Amino acid sequence: MDRQAICITNILDDYALLSPLRYRNNYLKIGIVTFGLLMGVSSTSPITPILIALSMFLATVLFGAIPVRFYLKLLSAPAVFVLLSVVVIAFFFGTGGELFGFDILGYRFSINTGGLNMALLVLARTLSGMTCLFFLALTTPMVELFSVLKTMKLPDSFIEISMMMYRYIFVFLEVAWSIRYAQNVRLGYRDWWTSLRSLAMLCTTLFLRSWEQGEKIFVSMSSRCYDGKLVFFEERRPIRINEMMLTCLYVAAITLVWYSTRDFVFV
Amino acid sequence: MHIFEGFLPGPWWQIWFAISIPVIMYGMYKLNNIVKEHRELVPLLALAGAFIFVLSSLKMPSVTGSSSHPTGTGMAAILFGPAITAVLGTIVLLYQALFLAHGGLTTLGANVFSMAIAGPVVAYVIYKAGMKANINFYVVVFLAATLANWVTYVVTSFELALAFPAEVGGVMASFKAFALVFATTQVPLAIMEGALTALIFKYVVQVKSDALVELKVIKDSTLRKLKGTMS
Repeated sequence: MDRQAICITNILDDYALLSPLRYRNNYLKIGIVTFGLLMGVSSTSPITPILIALSMFLATVLFGAIPVRFYLKLLSAPAVFVLLSVVVIAFFFGTGGELFGFDILGYRFSINTGGLNMALLVLARTLSGMTCLFFLALTTPMVELFSVLKTMKLPDSFIEISMMMYRYIFVFLEVAWSIRYAQNVRLGYRDWWTSLRSLAMLCTTLFLRSWEQGEKIFVSMSSRCYDGKLVFFEERRPIRINEMMLTCLYVAAITLVWYSTRDFVFV
Repeated sequence: MHIFEGFLPGPWWQIWFAISIPVIMYGMYKLNNIVKEHRELVPLLALAGAFIFVLSSLKMPSVTGSSSHPTGTGMAAILFGPAITAVLGTIVLLYQALFLAHGGLTTLGANVFSMAIAGPVVAYVIYKAGMKANINFYVVVFLAATLANWVTYVVTSFELALAFPAEVGGVMASFKAFALVFATTQVPLAIMEGALTALIFKYVVQVKSDALVELKVIKDSTLRKLKGTMS
């Protein structure tokens, strides 16, 4: 049993910390991702999002040195939700000629061209959005993003809480993992009812642990002159010329495709 | 349930941001006030947020064999109230998008509304009403957590239906379709989360009940009654 057995998936932050792209300019990376997200979600044909998804996939795998198998496994995580919703959209949305249909209990269910187009478009958009998000998540650890959040002028208490939360997520995951392990070797997840009881005990311990830890950490931080602000060092990382050129090329290509395929329909 | 990145088109993701942002601002305002008076609460709130994150990443044993995760928002709303839960929930959702690739950034507004606002508000209202009506504490907790989880799915179905209305029958028809797919499959999981939350509260009352009194979750008199029935 590893950490995956209790968590949803791998923590992407682990990969971001080791990424070769970690020490590149944060604003450039965020800019690329924001551009991809907005272009993907505002496109009217599936071609632009697929192109964005392809570029982001290549950028993450080639420049970010992420194993392809792992990347594809990550992409399959939203599959159930996306496929279910896409099927609903295909059946209920749009007009046009009927492509495929059947009867259930006197109701006619059918997919028409409009619905199929919409479903494909939504599928492509989700794909492009997820790959953009993966690019950010797999190359930029949260520690780097805090300085960006600070420049966004969010309230101090908000950032403060986010930073401390970030730190303690990993502490509690370790605690949860070891408790789960201990329960598991004592047959705590033998059947359904035992699992429910064990899980409730685990959560209670976590809650109490976080309560006690919260009191302790305030004492220890106050004794080190904590005055409500955590200040940390921000490294300056100028954008390199080849990065800038590649980004401009990417932006120009996507904008061109976005403009020329805006009336494109698939079927 | 998270709506994934890129799923919501055109005006809808902006609209959900426009609805969620004022609520979050109000939450932050309340948070700032509390923090100004009680500085020692900052670490505590941060750890509460971390707790929600870890809680929502634990696998629940489920009836069908497939695994699923509690939302944790029902419990957080009972403990900390809906305004603070909304702010903590927003940070949790942001982290889930960036660490676990669950949810997304353009869909963050919609996800915040369904998971960090609608669910906690429902849980809180049910909890307060139930306590006032003098129903058993654990039954109230069970109901609040179950409905908070389930309402999240209903609201998500509604968000999807608004963005993709059906050609025949409009929003209502596609709402029925999305609700059929998501909200009905969620019922057993919602009940699971309710049972889990009630059990957690039972253990907390046994082990560290003064924490609950300090958070003003239950009154001293109710607590004594609960402990009295147990021993």
